[in-house]
Amino acid sequence: MTDTAYMLVVIAAVALATFATRALPFIFFSRREPPELLSTIEKNLPPMILLLLVIYCLKDVQWFEPPYGVPEIFTIAVVTVLHIWRRNAMLSIFAGTGLYMVLVQLIF
Amino acid sequence: MTHESEKLLFSAFKTTLPVLFGYIPLGMAFGLLLAGAGYHWIYALVMSIFIYTGAGQFIAVALLAAGAQLMEFVTITLLINLRHSFYGLSLLDKFSGVGKVKPYLMFALTDETYALLTTTTVPEGASKARFYFYISVLDHLYWIAGSVLGAVLGSMLRLNLEGLTFVLAALFVVLTLEQYYASRARFPFMAAMGAGVLSLLLFSPDNMLLLSIMIGTLILIMYERTTKGKNSEPLSNDSATREELL
Repeated sequence: MTDTAYMLVVIAAVALATFATRALPFIFFSRREPPELLSTIEKNLPPMILLLLVIYCLKDVQWFEPPYGVPEIFTIAVVTVLHIWRRNAMLSIFAGTGLYMVLVQLIF
Repeated sequence: MTHESEKLLFSAFKTTLPVLFGYIPLGMAFGLLLAGAGYHWIYALVMSIFIYTGAGQFIAVALLAAGAQLMEFVTITLLINLRHSFYGLSLLDKFSGVGKVKPYLMFALTDETYALLTTTTVPEGASKARFYFYISVLDHLYWIAGSVLGAVLGSMLRLNLEGLTFVLAALFVVLTLEQYYASRARFPFMAAMGAGVLSLLLFSPDNMLLLSIMIGTLILIMYERTTKGKNSEPLSNDSATREELL
């Protein structure tokens, strides 16, 4: 097999595997009702997953080496306070990101 | 394009702005990585169009470099992206009745698009299918543009973008707060804190998201079971009181 053909096979395989994980629940429950237990946790999944995504963004932080995750925790705290105060998503997100870039590029 | 759909597209664009600022540098990082491994930029384009997953594409490059077997690509991709199955579980209702765009919405369900779709409300009077489709397509285009840009420009660019991808963390923080305001349920946040911190401590960065979602879901199920046990009324009867319990 040529390199190009191999590459295309790999891309197709990875694409199909990715699509499968995303389509699975829709295909599985297209003809049957989801079990009762599932529908009760269904609406609690998004808040839980979103907070887990926040925590996931800290996965590469080295907590026991300088700067001990200070830029990340500080930025998250600022975004949280700013958002509770002004409730302006764009302001919270971009002020927070700017702050973080200054912290990691210039200060820490 | 009619005035109405133009307005809706603009509204979707505003919603996806943080993802634009996150996907461009992240996509560029992927493009750089792929170009660095010696692949033509056209592969960055093809991969970002047809695969469209952040972590999965990064790992695919690593596997390519390691000369992995096809089965390894498939297994590892399935494991890394299994978390998306949980996303779909909470979108069964939202995606019902969106019509012919449904397969695309399923395909384009990344972490960031999921976060936007579950938290943003459809503008009044607008079509849900169309709004979801715009958000999904825009995010997809940002990702494609970023990865091609990274692969083409590569080392030519000398911008210091360090820290810019944290825009996605900030987006998730804001969306978490919006979820907090939108629902009276508090237990999901406690479950996430427990499962998240535990996974951060115990698991490798590559595995922690899927494992933390699984642990968190288990906690939610167990909690639901025990409160159901205490509560004599059937679960499906009154969702309002059940929500108060959580």
